[in-house]
Amino acid sequence: MRDNRAWLGVLPVLLIVAFSAVIPLMTVVNYSVQDIFDANTRIFVGLDWYRETLRDPRLQSALLRQILFSSLILALEIPLGILVAKSLPRAGRSVGLWLVLLAIPLLIPWNVVGTIWQLFARPDIGLLGATLQNLGFDYNYTAGTLDAWLTLLAMDVWHWTSLVALLAFAGLTAIPDAYYQAARLDGASRWQIFRHVELPRLTSVLTIAVLLRLMDSFMIYTEPFVLTGGGPGNSTTFLSQYLTSMAVGQFDLGPAAAFSVLYFLVVLLLCWLFYTSVMRNRDAD
Amino acid sequence: MAELLLSNLSHSYPGAGAPTLSGLNLRVASGEAHALLGSSGAGKSTLLNLLSGLLPASPGQLLLGGQDLADQPPSSRGVAQVFQFPVLYEAMSVLGNLAFPLRVMGMSRRDCRARARQMAEQLEIDHLLERRPTRLGLFEKQLVAIGKALVRPDLSLVLLDEPLTAAEPARKWRLRHTLKSLQRESGATMIYVTHDQTEALTFADRISVMHEGGILQTGSPEQLINAPTHEHVGYFVGTPGMNFLDARIESDVCLVGDVPFGSLVVSPGVCRIGFRPEWAKLAGAPAQTHSGSDWIIAADVISQRVLGTHRGVPFGLVDATVAGARIVTRQPLDEVPSGRAQLHLDTVRAFRQGWVVDA
Repeated sequence: MRDNRAWLGVLPVLLIVAFSAVIPLMTVVNYSVQDIFDANTRIFVGLDWYRETLRDPRLQSALLRQILFSSLILALEIPLGILVAKSLPRAGRSVGLWLVLLAIPLLIPWNVVGTIWQLFARPDIGLLGATLQNLGFDYNYTAGTLDAWLTLLAMDVWHWTSLVALLAFAGLTAIPDAYYQAARLDGASRWQIFRHVELPRLTSVLTIAVLLRLMDSFMIYTEPFVLTGGGPGNSTTFLSQYLTSMAVGQFDLGPAAAFSVLYFLVVLLLCWLFYTSVMRNRDAD
Repeated sequence: MAELLLSNLSHSYPGAGAPTLSGLNLRVASGEAHALLGSSGAGKSTLLNLLSGLLPASPGQLLLGGQDLADQPPSSRGVAQVFQFPVLYEAMSVLGNLAFPLRVMGMSRRDCRARARQMAEQLEIDHLLERRPTRLGLFEKQLVAIGKALVRPDLSLVLLDEPLTAAEPARKWRLRHTLKSLQRESGATMIYVTHDQTEALTFADRISVMHEGGILQTGSPEQLINAPTHEHVGYFVGTPGMNFLDARIESDVCLVGDVPFGSLVVSPGVCRIGFRPEWAKLAGAPAQTHSGSDWIIAADVISQRVLGTHRGVPFGLVDATVAGARIVTRQPLDEVPSGRAQLHLDTVRAFRQGWVVDA
């Protein structure tokens, strides 16, 4: 007879996962296929909400904005993070200090980051905003779309480049000295050392960095909400913010639930695509 | 043609108390296979890194083919180094790895590939050329690393830092053979660092025994075996190493534990006498007593270990004590008594403060 007692040991984990992830997610799925008027009045509508959501032009533009934003911050933060990690000293007393300094933006609550930048960038009293104004730039993130985007990008780079830098630094310090020594004896240039020694050895940590930044930036909510409130107009309204306004502001639970499910699937799909492509590349002989 | 000449070379790591290398002198002839033998911490790797330029120049002089190495950057010294563990460009194929040092030199793509292929054939890794190093076994990786080091045509000195640590014994033999033939072909001078005396004795034309940052003795394997100039050389080279007994010289007679052992023309005073296990023989005690000048002394046999047979006679190592000190002999086992015995010596060396005093 087979002994099935091991399943008992797995049971607590299954329960925790069920209550923390599966049941809430299935509730959303349940909402997404019904039209709910009150606690007792609900009509099954099938995939109607999904169709409606996919055709929503405001959602489509929010999605495009979101893709643009995530692509831009990845293009900025990954190279910049590597550059910062490369310029940190490898050993010595100052290393600890630098790492702590780098970690500071990561320790600040997200809405505080938004507030800091909201004040910092104000054209009337903010250090950055007022300076730019006085230098003759017509800078105003509450009025100009480009200004709002630049401010948001600067804020995200300020907030998250450290994460990439710390991960890359950990990857760099894990490379044994002999690799650098061998490259020096071969006469490799600094670029060749980076390209052929460091970058291949950073692949795993950079994969994690890209995944974290991709998922996180794709779900960004707090900082733009505090800084621009999605404006001017809808120019900095990303998916999360549009979803919140739909679910909490307009109380459209059905469409919001359909939106949520799609949103979740998109993030999952993006991460899966990225991860499998990296892994396939690595395994290719 | 590149003779290597080190004179009065020293090196200290910043913050370290004692210097890692002090006042080192060495001459390695062009095309010689030279081994640096010593236990870890003797300064072998430091010496290699000074030669290749991985460590900045130190006091003393480093001449390769008459040119001072101190002014030249590592890549233009014509020096290649193989590390203890294989160091390769992991994102490149084996062919890419072998061709990389040539590409950096500015060789044409076709020449690079041809030379890399030729190298791979010599090392018998030509079937691996398209593979990534990450897919290879440790030994194959090290072969590629050796190939990468030897591929440059302008080499005059090849440094090998315990390159066979990763290999199984059977493969070590073959690789050592390959290395020797490559070295003979290229005419490059090779310096081989190891703590394994078998590796050193089979690979090298000459061996330098290093200890605590200095070279104790440089010589052919025979010289190190038959005429060690320092106790440490005697002990470190040979399996098992040299035996040592505390002794005293009085009017040209060597006394061990106040018993006369043999005649030795050395100034009187305390010394240590050393003899190799194969220079000694333990035999049953005959009835007559000995004169004190024929190198025979009473011993107690403890145990014996058979290593094999020689012409049908079991042959091996015998452990014994002489005047309270442990010794080992290597001899036929058929004539070894148990318990009380006599130790006969063919040859003996006397040492004072570590250094040899006879001859």
